[in-house]
This record gives sequence, C-alpha cells and structure tokens, in this order.
Amino acid sequence: MSATATDRGTGRIGQAARKRDGALLLTGGARYIDDVRPPGTLYAAVVRSTVANARIRRVHAGEAEALPGTVLVLTGERARDLAAPTPYFIDPLVRGARRVDIRCLEPDRVVFVGQPVAAVVADTREGAQRAARLVRVDYDVLPHVLDAERALEPDAPRVYAEWPDNVVLSKSYGTGDPDGALESADVVVEGTFRSGRTTTAPIEPRGFLAHWDEHAQTLTMHGSCQNPHQLRWMLSATLGIPENRIRVVTEKVGGSFGLKMQGQPEETLVALLSMLAGAPVKWIEDRRESFLAGSRQQVHRFTVGARSDGRIVALVDRIVADAGAMTAQAGWAMPNMSATTLPSGYRVPDCRIDLSIVATNKPPLSAARGFGKDSAHLVMERAVDLVARRLGLDPAVVRERNFIRSDEFPYRTSTGLNIDSGDFHGLLDKATTSLGYRRWRERQREARASGEHIGLGLALELTPESSDSPGSFVSGFDTTTVRMSVTGSVTVLTGVTSPGGGNDTGIAQIVATELGVPLEWVRVVQGDTDRCPNGFGNFSGRSMVVGGGSAALAARDVRRTLALVGARMLGVPDAEVRDGAVVDPAGAGAVPVPEVALAVLTRSFDVASGVEPILESTRAYKPGNIDHRPDAHGRIQPYPTYSSCVHAAAVRVDAETGRVEIADYAMAHDCGTMINPALVEGQAWGAVVMGLGAALSEQLVFGEDGATLSDRFKSYLMPRAADVPEIRMEHQVTPSPYTMHGNKGAGEAGVGGAQAAIANAVEDALSPFGVVVDRVPLTPPAVLELIRRAAQEVAP
Amino acid sequence: MTGEDTPRYTAPADLDGVVAALEGADEGTVLVGGGTMVVPAMTHGHVVPSALVDLGRAGLTGIREEDGATVVGAMTDYASLLAADTDRGPGHPLRLLARAAAGITGGPQIRNRGTLGGSASYANPASDVPGCLVALGARLRLASARGVREVPAQEFFLGAFRTARRPDEVLAELVLPHGDALAWGYVKFKLAESSWPVVTSAAAVLAGGGLRVALGAAADRPVALDVPAPHRGTADPAWRALVADGAARALADRGAAFVDDVLADAHYRAAVTPVIVARAVEGALRGADRQERGRA
Amino acid sequence: MNRIRLNVNGEDREVEVDPRRLLVHAVREEVGLTGTHVGCLTGDCGACTVLVDDRSVKSCSVLAVSADGARLRTIEDLGTEDDLDPVQRAFLEEFAFQCGYCLPGMLLTVRELLDRDPDPGEEDIVQAVSGNLCRCTGYGPILRAVRSAVRATREADRP
Repeated sequence: MSATATDRGTGRIGQAARKRDGALLLTGGARYIDDVRPPGTLYAAVVRSTVANARIRRVHAGEAEALPGTVLVLTGERARDLAAPTPYFIDPLVRGARRVDIRCLEPDRVVFVGQPVAAVVADTREGAQRAARLVRVDYDVLPHVLDAERALEPDAPRVYAEWPDNVVLSKSYGTGDPDGALESADVVVEGTFRSGRTTTAPIEPRGFLAHWDEHAQTLTMHGSCQNPHQLRWMLSATLGIPENRIRVVTEKVGGSFGLKMQGQPEETLVALLSMLAGAPVKWIEDRRESFLAGSRQQVHRFTVGARSDGRIVALVDRIVADAGAMTAQAGWAMPNMSATTLPSGYRVPDCRIDLSIVATNKPPLSAARGFGKDSAHLVMERAVDLVARRLGLDPAVVRERNFIRSDEFPYRTSTGLNIDSGDFHGLLDKATTSLGYRRWRERQREARASGEHIGLGLALELTPESSDSPGSFVSGFDTTTVRMSVTGSVTVLTGVTSPGGGNDTGIAQIVATELGVPLEWVRVVQGDTDRCPNGFGNFSGRSMVVGGGSAALAARDVRRTLALVGARMLGVPDAEVRDGAVVDPAGAGAVPVPEVALAVLTRSFDVASGVEPILESTRAYKPGNIDHRPDAHGRIQPYPTYSSCVHAAAVRVDAETGRVEIADYAMAHDCGTMINPALVEGQAWGAVVMGLGAALSEQLVFGEDGATLSDRFKSYLMPRAADVPEIRMEHQVTPSPYTMHGNKGAGEAGVGGAQAAIANAVEDALSPFGVVVDRVPLTPPAVLELIRRAAQEVAP
Repeated sequence: MTGEDTPRYTAPADLDGVVAALEGADEGTVLVGGGTMVVPAMTHGHVVPSALVDLGRAGLTGIREEDGATVVGAMTDYASLLAADTDRGPGHPLRLLARAAAGITGGPQIRNRGTLGGSASYANPASDVPGCLVALGARLRLASARGVREVPAQEFFLGAFRTARRPDEVLAELVLPHGDALAWGYVKFKLAESSWPVVTSAAAVLAGGGLRVALGAAADRPVALDVPAPHRGTADPAWRALVADGAARALADRGAAFVDDVLADAHYRAAVTPVIVARAVEGALRGADRQERGRA
Repeated sequence: MNRIRLNVNGEDREVEVDPRRLLVHAVREEVGLTGTHVGCLTGDCGACTVLVDDRSVKSCSVLAVSADGARLRTIEDLGTEDDLDPVQRAFLEEFAFQCGYCLPGMLLTVRELLDRDPDPGEEDIVQAVSGNLCRCTGYGPILRAVRSAVRATREADRP
C-alpha cells in the first residue's frame, strides 16, 4: 500500500515530511525579494504604454526629472544603445515561427497597452511611482486588433508591420486519415470552445534587485524567479557582461506558476538601471502590472466522429490561439502543447490538429501552470461529452470505452507523445466512487422534479511533464551536488528551484533516503548561480524528477564511499549506510556516519587509503522516454512522464442568475511514486482551485482601447475560501518506468481538468434548457447568455 | 507644482477641529476615514491630495437614538454596526445595515476598518451602503463652518463617486428614521466572493402591507422602487415584469441607467434585477411573517 | 515628514514618515519587520494583515500617520520557530501553506478570529479567511488547519 497524505514519517521517500522551511515561513522570517534592501537601495518604476498600437514620437521626461528624489529617467532610445534585444527562452525560429526583437524598453513603437517605454529611478518607491506618472509620451496611434480571429482576416490591422500577417506560427499535428474516419463514423459532432484569458496571479508579484559593483565589475541580481541560470545567460547576452561576472540569487519565491520564468523585459531593465545609477536598484511589480500577463486564450472548432457504441474514431480540431504581443519569455509557445496534448489519453488514431498562434495587440502570454496542455482537455473532454449526449450514453461509459488501456503502455498518440504509463479506468473508478457519482445522478433526477439544476461533469487530464525542448533552455535533465562535511552534515546544491511547492523538502527526503541519514542532517541550497551547479530551475513539473534523480545519483556516490571506508573501520567485507550509521549487514557492529566522514577526510592515508578522499559528487540525471529524433511522421517525443487524473464535479446552477455553485468535487490523481504525498496533494489541490477559477470567474477583460480593465482582485475574480468546496482527493500510484523513483511530474495537473469537468457539469445541469457550453469562464452573465441562446434556438 | 507635492496632514481631535481644518478647502482636500477606499486610490495615483484631513481622532463614532431615529456617527465601522445589531426588531434600520455589513467583501479586516460614513461619502456605485441608505430614507448630516445641513440619501448620491457633499463639508452623522418597516430583506448579488456587488436590493415590508425597495450597484447611483405586493408569490412572471418596469422607471426618473462594467453588462444587470429584488422581498416577507407568528 | 509613535509587538518605536506612507511600508521599512507582506496594495489580498489595537486590518489601506499612537501586532510576535503559536502549529501540521507569502496575514486573521471566539462555527471560519487570498493551497488545507487549531485550543483550555 502506498503512503497517504495523513501518514507522518521521519522524512524518507514516500513519507509526508513537513515543509522544511515551514517554521521560518510561519514566523515571518523568510526572506522574499522585497525584503532584500541593501544600504543605498534606489527604486525603479516602469512607464508603460497607454495605447495598443503606435509609433513613439517623443518621450517627455523633464517633469519627472525635476521631481525631488528622482535619480534618472531612462528612455527606450537610450536603452537601445545600452542593451541588446532579449534572447528568447524558446526561440521562435527554431520552432518555425516568426520573431521580433524584444527590448527592455521599446524605443520606436508599442504594440500593447502596458508595454514598457521608459523607466524612472528615485530614492523612494513612492517617489519613483510619482515620477513615472509624470513622464509623458507622444504617440502616432495606429489601428489595433484585439481579437485573434479578427487578426487572421486579410484586412486586419497588423501588430508587427514587417510581418505579412499576424500569424506567429501555423502548424498541423496528427496522423492517420481523420477525414476518412469521419466519413465512416456513425455519428459526427461539431463543437466550438473558447477559453478566456486568465492570469497566474501569485500573491507575491515579480521583483528584482540588481546591484552593479563598478569597482569589481560584477552584477548581482536578486530576484523572485524560477530560472536563475537562464537569467544569468540572458543578462550576459543583453548587457555584454561575461557570465562569470554575474551572480543571480533567487530569494524565497512567493508563488509563481510560470509567471516568474525568465525572459521578461524588466530583468534586463533593472540591471541596466543599476549600472546607470551606480547603486542597488529594486523594482517590485505592482499588482496592476502583474495582471498584464496572460495565461491562455484559445478558440477551438472541432469535429469528432464516433461509432454507435461510443468509440471515438477521429478528431479534427482547428485552434486559434491568441498570443497577444510577442514575448521573449516562454509564454508564446504554450499553444503548441495544446495541439500536441490532444487527443489526451484516448485511443484516437486518426487526428488532425491545425494550430494557428496569432499575434494581437494585447499584452503577451506568460508561461502558466498547465503550459497549454490544459486547453487540450477542454476540447477533448467536451468532445467526449458531446458524443455521449448524441448517443444517449452516460459520459462515464463513453470514457471507459475510449481510454487507452493500462496494458497498452507505452502508447504513442497520433500527435506523437509516448505516454509512459497509467491506469485511466482505475482513476475514473476512484473519482466517481469518491464523488458518489450514482448517488448524485439520483439527486439530479429528484432536483429536476423540483426545478433545481444539478449537473455532473467528468474529465480526464493527461499531463505531459518534465519536458525537454531541443535547442532551448527547456531542459529535460538537471544537476545536483551532494556534499558531506567532516561532521556528517549534508549540503545539497541543486540546479532546480522551488517557487513554493516544497521540492526542496522532497529532494532532502530523497538524499536522506539514498544516503541513509536522518532528514535533519540535510540542507538544500537552491537558486544561487555562484553556489549551485548549472541547472535550469523550475518548470514543467520537472523538479522532483530531474532534481530528485540527480540528487539520488550524487547521494549514491557519497554513500558508496561511506560504505567502503565504514566497512574497513568495522573490519567487514561490506557495509550498509542506515539511519546515520555504517552498519555490518550481519549485525556485527556499526559506526556513526560522522565518524566515517571524519575518517575519509582526515585519515586518507590509513583507513581511507586508496579511496579518493572526497565526500562530494555532482551528477546530472536524464530520465528516459525523451526522443528528439523525428519519426516517419516528423514527430518528436519531448516528455519522459505523463501524470494523469480524473476529475468528477457536481454543480448546482442558479438558472435565474447564472451563478454556478460547486456542490462537490473529487479528483483521483496519479503521478506515479509520490516522494512526499502531502506535498503532491497540496500541489494538486491548488491546481484544481486555479482551474475552478478559470472555469467560473477569472477573466482578464480588455477595453476597446486595449487597456486591461480587470486590474485588481475585485474585478479579476480569483477564488476565495467561500467559493470552492473541499476536494475529495484520491491517489493512485502507477510508477513511471522511465524515472529513477517511478515518480512523474506533479503540480500542473488540475488546471485543465477542473475547467473541463465544470464545463461538462454545467452543460449537464442545464440540459433541460438544451444548453451547449462553448466557453469558459462560465460567469453568471455567460451562463445566462447560454440559457437565453438555447431558448432562442429551441423556439425560433 | 506637479500635484505630487507632500500634502498637509491634520488629524483634528473633534468635529469642530475637522470643520476648522476644512474651512476654505477645495477638491484637493481629502478626508480619510477608515482608509479602505481612499488610501488605495492614493497609492495608485487616482486621488492626489493637496491636504489630508484624518477623521480617525475626531470621535464621530457611536450609535444613539434621537427623536424616532437611530443616529450613527459617520466613523462607525462595519464591525460596530454588526455588534450593535442585537435585540432589535427585524424592521429596525440597524438590522438592514448589519445584514449589509456582514456581507462586505474583503473579510473581517475591512469590517474592522471600513466605515458607514466613508462608504457613503466615497459613493462607489458598486457598494452596499448607498442603496441601503436610500432604502432607509436616511438623512446625511453634513457639517461645515457654515453650519450643519441634512441631505436625504436620495439627493446625496449624484452619480459614481459623486455626492452632494461640498469640499468644505464633512459627513458627521447619518440619521436613520424608524419608519414603518416591519422587516428588512437584503440580497447582495456578486459574481463570486471576491467581486464588487453587481446588483443589491434592500426590501422592507411596511406596516400597511406595502413594500419599500431600493436597488444598489445596478446603476451609477442607488434608486428606490415602487413595487406592488406579490400576491401570487415572487416567482410570478407578471409581478417580476412589474418589478422590471418599476426599476427601469426609477432609473429613468433619476436620469440613470443600468451600468456596463468589467463584471457585467447592462443587459445582465437588467435581467437579474427582478430576480434579486424578488429574493430581497421574499426575505422581508419571511421576516415579517416570523414576527407575526412570534406575536401570535 | 511626520513623526509618529507606534508600539510594535510591545516595543515603543518612533519613526518619521511622509503622510502618504502606507502603514505596511512603515512596518516593513521604517520599523524593519518584513514578515508583513505586500500583495496588491488595494486592500484585497490580505497579505499585509496586522493587528492594530487587537483588530485585524489590511495595513496597505491605512496611512502610517493614522496609526500614530496605536498598538501593532505583527507576525513576528505570534510565535517563535521553537515555540509556535497553536495556529502556526496547526498550519504546519496540516500543510496549510506552500510559498508562505499569504501566510502571515492568514495567521493573524485566524488568530484574531480565535481570540474573539475560541469556538467558531464552520461558516465563521470560512468568513474569517475570506479576506485573504491564497493561490497555492486551494484553501481546503487552511480550513483544516483552522479547525485543528480550534480543537487544540479547546483541548488546551480543558482543565
């Protein structure tokens, strides 16, 4: 039996060790970026475009410069001479997409409201903000386009004048003969689905503190960021400073969810401002700035064909993804994963997914939990429900008939993903049992009789994790050093970082287990380019797979040396390391690890002679299953592991106001071996609630001028405690054959499935009205609109 | 003068001090009550004060009875309104204000800090207090060096963030007449826990059997409605149509209209208004019914 | 600049602030206690919650000058790493936080709830934390932790 979240242990693999930084966080002692304030720190504020598409005519800085306390005002024109364009995290050219130069401040043109055009440094944060408000910019305003489908029309305004159209990338995925399969299908159902533009909104916004030391010619950059090594590389590229003169230090990160991946203009900007000011310069993002970052927005027009027994035979989907303006951050590439994640965990050999990533005059996408995979599930799960509805079958039954069976893994999907393992039927059973699916069906019938609208929704969510994108810094491996000191204390230096989920605790558990020492001996250091080995930070649910894997390899090296020298000290041929001691497996004796460590490092010419006197190892870990050599169809396989989960939701819909209440919710989750079940559960729970927000209330709303109107938490409606139910969480463990501990990525699963389950549940609740759900978020106005439209269609 | 100069700050110790501090004040003089609305507005540059007058030390708190009315000091916070709502009948004005205070968005921190007078003076259309004050037929007592005047709530709220208060006046007290309400019903409809209210409705069952209803958040200012008694129940489509007409007429009379904003468009507000009014009326009817049965 | 007096966690402090200075910034920078966090500066997220004269307030929505003479309690006064407050202990046991950024505000809000009412009902608990946003946990573990803190308090009070 696997460990559960309620097990309490000493911190070995599989036990629910509490967060290692817990006491520090609980007492307010943790240091986040805004808590770093060296003497003489100056503050920066960014002047942002107020128009959606324009040539910049002139920047008037005089009033801002005259304000007492202002140190300097930097314009885009000057910044262009001082900093090169930001290199892309995922280069569009490598992906066959179009690119533009992205600069820290735009000198010539702006393409969205909120784009940085100038920056101010002042002696106080309020002073910088006041001065920024005094910078005026003259624009020659051009027509703009905010809607991606409109942007595809030939006469649409052009976001980038030098492009022939607004298409960033146009690409087709899939194999087989979907058109033929649709011809011969018993039923063919068409659908449309639109996802709203959401944002990640961690409670701590982004922030950086740059300190250029003119004397030493070194740049130290403290940041709330996920990818310190990539950031160092990027700063080197934009500012021309050798990488070995740049140190990036990640402070405690107050949540990220993709937002704090490297590639944003403010990174170079803050460093440049410090160089110009000759002092430490801090920039902390305002919440309104944070709301610029889009997470997703797509339109899918899909056709699905099925046999009369519910077996799906073909899927055709045309995706139009609204990228907003281009970004050097990874965000622009997310819709690729929407296409390749289809048809999810279903056996649909004949697929064609046509993807257009389209630029509009909205702020760019920023990497977001789910990374596009989430949107695939909205479409696939809607398609399954539409088939069920057309055939009069229960949606659970149609899912059972189409899931890839657990004996079919590894399974190559039509779009090319090689799913490592899973048991989707098991997950469905667990989720529906946990929810009380049949009981809710009865309640639904009774409620309908009394005019109440209850609905049930199911969704499978397949989450490809720990990706490696060829030729980019989206890396499928990582590196860790395990170092034991003369007293036996263990320092782990790893290339992966933690945005708050607790992978530092998980990695410590792996090292403690592999090394055979108590968890308390182990300290994990992350996010410092001067101390940690080269690595790639945090994204794609990779940290426990590759951070954990590399830590285990390094720990095993150290353990071997301890065992070897310990055995000599015991006078036995072989020894094991257990619970902080090197022991004779035959029970003849034991010697504490610190004594063995002391011997290795101080008696290297007697008891440790012939042994390299080092209790340290740096190892990289590459999981299996990744293959970048294109197959006959040109498909590559970028993911080692595929986590999976099934969501089951029960909702009540107030048909008079359109308000949806989540009555009950269950999630059955499988990420293979759980290193720390409580931390896995926490991640999954948080991801589900993020998905519930996207399903029901969260939405970035833009004015006709392109300004973000939903600019605070009273208009961008993130769930609060009263909005969401307590989730019934079930675990299933199907270990991955391709990772060291059988673990798969965790942390992203939830966002897409929750949206899909709620969309399906709302449609089910409103089936007496004939409502077809074609969008999220299902805000009360949206739901009322769906009811009104259905009524019109029924009674024309 | 950039408008970003450090403002003069005073925190008078009593109402006379506030009045003196406001003498000759212009639009740049900003009154700070609990701060929950005006302080964030200052942070983001929406309000740029040339002078700050802090009401926090001027008293202006407390609830007392006066000639058939309850008088609430403008600086009385929501938590105090909630605490004061004990042993009062369902038709007491404080019962309605407590219902509204209980649902204030932002948690106990805002209820501890936000004030009745502050919310009235800020006149955010998307808030509870203006609609409740109109429903209560409240009078707002404004003090200045020129003396004290009372303005009925209906005339106080002129539009979004606009009131009849002049720059040299301070809202000192709110007079809540004990009318003929037997019981209050209140419904605040939000899209989610976080959101500004989209439509609010306060409804009273009156001693004579009639109804008094006010609508908040639906338009740029609150309005009172004429609503007939729902003889066939509040779900009766004909009655709902009368409510919808009444709402449209009340808005038109005040030169107002359902608003379009980031949360909902005018069509949606118009569509849910009769629903929210119906629910508020139901609540009031239930309250009156309970009281009736309690008496019997 | 205005000179103000604050009693912070039992210690008298005098600081000079611009009258527009927010209480949260005065606490973090002039007083130097950085456990109180800034999340939105609009009074919505609750990360900046502190107790002013024993009542929870969002310190981004209070001018520092308005708090002149007040008694402040911040997260730094709740418990120490070696001697956690029962609310802190419950949050640790129940995995009721991840990144920890909303945590100090959440803890002080719950502390005030339990000081006011040691045995709150389910609805009271949900309402009490409804002014605090958390993006990591999905709230369930937080509600579990509050219930657990209530139980612990009840048991500790039992003679």
